[in-house]
Amino acid sequence: MNYLLHILIMINIYLVLAFSLNLLIGYTGLLSICHAAFYGIGAYISTLLMINLGMNFFLALLLSILGAMLISLLVSLPSLRLKGDYFILCTIGFQLIVFTILYNWISLTRGPYGISGIPTPSLFGFEFSTIPRYFLLTLIMGIISFIIIRRILISPFGRLLKAIREDELATQSLGKDIFKVKILSFLIAAGIAAISGSLFAHYVTYIDPTSFTLEESIFIATIIIVGGMGNLKGPFVGTVLLFIIPELLRFLGIPDAVAANLRQMIYALLLIAFMYFRPQGIAGEYKFK
Amino acid sequence: MNILELKEVTKNFDGIKAVDNLSFFLKEGSITSLIGPNGAGKTTVFNLITNYLTPEKGSIYYQGEEITGSLPHRIANMGIGRLFQDVRVFNKLTALENVFVAIKKNCGENPFTSLLFHRRVAKQEEKNMAIGLKWLEFVGLSEKKETLAEDLSYGQQKLLSLARLLANDARLLLLDEPISGIHPEMIERILSLIKRLVQEGRTIFIIEHNIGAVLKVSDWVMLLDGGNLVASGLPSEIKQDQTLREVYLGV
Repeated sequence: MNYLLHILIMINIYLVLAFSLNLLIGYTGLLSICHAAFYGIGAYISTLLMINLGMNFFLALLLSILGAMLISLLVSLPSLRLKGDYFILCTIGFQLIVFTILYNWISLTRGPYGISGIPTPSLFGFEFSTIPRYFLLTLIMGIISFIIIRRILISPFGRLLKAIREDELATQSLGKDIFKVKILSFLIAAGIAAISGSLFAHYVTYIDPTSFTLEESIFIATIIIVGGMGNLKGPFVGTVLLFIIPELLRFLGIPDAVAANLRQMIYALLLIAFMYFRPQGIAGEYKFK
Repeated sequence: MNILELKEVTKNFDGIKAVDNLSFFLKEGSITSLIGPNGAGKTTVFNLITNYLTPEKGSIYYQGEEITGSLPHRIANMGIGRLFQDVRVFNKLTALENVFVAIKKNCGENPFTSLLFHRRVAKQEEKNMAIGLKWLEFVGLSEKKETLAEDLSYGQQKLLSLARLLANDARLLLLDEPISGIHPEMIERILSLIKRLVQEGRTIFIIEHNIGAVLKVSDWVMLLDGGNLVASGLPSEIKQDQTLREVYLGV
């Protein structure tokens, strides 16, 4: 039972990540490859606030969201001035910088040693210390995030994002400040990714920079590309599928050492195959031109 | 009154003068056509007005205010709308949504307002619906309102992008080949819409290759060649003008 709940907790955490990245990739047409950086920033900020200042989890969560949003400006302001491939390269650069900082700022992050003994969240004396309880927490946070994202996406703002994705120049010619709109989209996506990071850190109670690498960013983008871009179904399909595959390998009795590598290969193949044969993903409505 | 004025505007591409010391003005409430052979610099003139390209020399005034070098979306917000040669509708949005995007001062386009003030946004959307339906009806696309823009015919897409401009409340409409590549009935329809818009006080500036058709509706015609005006006048004068034949037929 706990095994199943563990999978579901991870799926919940990744659903939040996938939905927030879909805002950028699927709605705004921005192929951002630095989502793991915001995931990590969320994880580290809330961990450090709880450990060093003894802050309540929910306050730490809120501050980690705001922190990630603020830091997102550092990458969005320069990168959104660039177009296409140059934008993608800029986000990859940011991802690498964040990883390097987490890895080398030892006095703050303990670098490669990671931070252990991360406290579990509690609310009014109710500890989310067992797996079923933590599942409940991720479920509630997942639902809240989903409602927020859905409301944003079906709003006139969501429509404007789609218009920018379809034709930037035409959107601009209608008097829209597309630069500002893209920055807002980036800001929101980063803030929501931080929720995932925080939920992850306080679940596994140990974090180190290797959870927030470029590979991880590519993995999150793969979820969107495989699942489908530009609607609410796609990230859901992608997340569930990409989490079930490794578990199936486990059931096939493949040794862990092999399974880990095999998993990476399957993800890579899926990414290539989908880009080639079905660029809109399984349930998407939009594909890259 | 002059709604738009260009003064000695010059734009080079790698040393080639695309627009060379060009000056002209447009009268408010008129239809002016810009004609000329391929490569004469017609679309460049539009790009300079909307500042997708910034002129190297010269200045551009809209309603008496200098707009040279202003950001494109600011220029659009001042009331200069543009219909692109390649229509540029939002493919994955419905016809109605295409028009919604064009509406100005839409409070729901701020994500935080959309998130926190649901009712205010809903009210605004009701107003938007009225505006959207009005302009779709104006161009005759009411029945297609729920159709994705990519599923419309080319002519319908031109009508849709015209509706978009009108919902955007453009006062000066720059139309880049509005009647090229569409069938004759649709041409008549678009031309009659253009005439109605001028009666409402809007100003139209057209680039077009279908000279016969535009000469019929224009108040003033300018002939561009090599980045400069080689002739301008009333349609009846331009028809007689020797330069037109020289430029187009080389005789």
